[in-house]
Amino acid sequence: MVRTSVRMRWAAPVAVAALSLVGLTACSSSDDSGSSVPGAAGGGKQDDLVAAAPVAANLPAGSTMEKIKKRGQLVIGGSLDAPLLSQQNPANKKVEGLDADFGRLLAKYIIGKPDVKIVNSASETREALLSNGTVDVVFQTYSITPERAKQVAFAGPYYSSGLVVATKKDTTGITSASDLKGKTVIAGANTPAIAAIKKVAPDAKIVTFGTDPECVQALKQGRGDAYVQDEALLLATAKQDPSIKIQGKPFTSDPYGIGLKHGDAQMKQFVNDWLKQIQASGLWAKVWKNSIGTVVEGDAPQAPALGSAPGSE
Amino acid sequence: MNVITDHLSEFGHGLVLTVELTLLSLAGALVAGVVVAAMRVSPVRALRAAGMAYVEVLQNIPLLVWLVIAVFGLPEIGVIAGLFTTSVVVIVLYQGAYTAEAIRSGINSVPAGQGEAARALGLTFTQSLRLVILPQALRTVVQPLGNIAIMTLMNTALAAAVGVVELTAAANRVNLAEAKPIWIFVTAGLAYMALSGLFGLVTGVLERKWAILR
Repeated sequence: MVRTSVRMRWAAPVAVAALSLVGLTACSSSDDSGSSVPGAAGGGKQDDLVAAAPVAANLPAGSTMEKIKKRGQLVIGGSLDAPLLSQQNPANKKVEGLDADFGRLLAKYIIGKPDVKIVNSASETREALLSNGTVDVVFQTYSITPERAKQVAFAGPYYSSGLVVATKKDTTGITSASDLKGKTVIAGANTPAIAAIKKVAPDAKIVTFGTDPECVQALKQGRGDAYVQDEALLLATAKQDPSIKIQGKPFTSDPYGIGLKHGDAQMKQFVNDWLKQIQASGLWAKVWKNSIGTVVEGDAPQAPALGSAPGSE
Repeated sequence: MNVITDHLSEFGHGLVLTVELTLLSLAGALVAGVVVAAMRVSPVRALRAAGMAYVEVLQNIPLLVWLVIAVFGLPEIGVIAGLFTTSVVVIVLYQGAYTAEAIRSGINSVPAGQGEAARALGLTFTQSLRLVILPQALRTVVQPLGNIAIMTLMNTALAAAVGVVELTAAANRVNLAEAKPIWIFVTAGLAYMALSGLFGLVTGVLERKWAILR
């Protein structure tokens, strides 16, 4: 009878495991060159933005901001998969986009250095993450609504977007939101698009999926006639994917706020002051140019007036 | 409480879809389970291997992954069906694997003498399985099958992730408009509890009715 020794029996699997580990590290370190992610072109400008960013002169004693400074890191609830807004670059692991840049600038304003940690949050969990203190702020295309304002405080709005309609390139007969009547429309689960579609086309059949890439996939596979989503997200998608076409201008106005813990009026005032500063100094426009400005022609739009959205007063 | 009464029709539609998903899936899973269990105890080696491969592949990949593969992956190779149909088929196949294992345990609990006696009487494999073994086997696994039924009910919530507006997705949509998660999700939870309680009750009754006294 042939018997392999105990040592031999262990040696083979261990060797295989070790080899595969080597293979994995080789894979992950092999590609640190260019990236096809839109907005990544301006990636190097992130550092310039941060360098030009202001730092708060003094933080009120006992305030939330002081606690964040003591910790040395701003914990942000955000996304890692939203192109142009907050997307992790697979090549260098940096999170890029409008929301991500604003997050870093706010961290520098509070702490003095752009040290942030992004907790991947979802539209269902943001209120809870803020109220139990898991995250300090939420930068995640967080539309200000009076209902949400009952559970969280909104600084801002810091950006105003809107919903647009996208279709496959060869689709005809849908050129604006009013053409959605009676059609099957794809929307992101837990996005304001659902209510907006019901308003413009009450008899449209709405199909929802969890993430933006899933919705795009579903549109391309013909599970719906059109996809309604935020303009910034769809612009990036259409830029990357020539089979998708955006039809018409935004049909809603959607103010994004910075989510803060409900009732923290001191911090809300503090963040609004910061927004006022970066808007006045032109830094706001530079952040826009660095992200959404890479796919939209022309100059940066006018920043929305602070407190202008119902729910952010 | 207004959040619930204002949205009764949304909750109602979601609940109906959940019940439809569950009942269709259960019926399908029972058929799939019996077939696969029969394969796993058959005298043909290739069938046994196929049955085992089916159970291992289906059980060892999460249902959500199967749903995403079927909804977003299959259209890439030209297979496209409605979201509800796709979800039902996937849940049937997935729960079928668990059902097959439960039924196989029932088959194994039937004394070997029963099968031997059936063969001695000249029954073929299919006849002995259908007339002698399965009637006894199914009676012993009423309780595990009841558990699988409850698991199926809970698993239908995953169809929400692929665009089927069943109870969980309906609750999510109501919450999006109302932002009152406690009331809304507790209501959805109570509806699930009521349904699974019903399943438990039916299982208990059937088990007492069909029990074999040995």
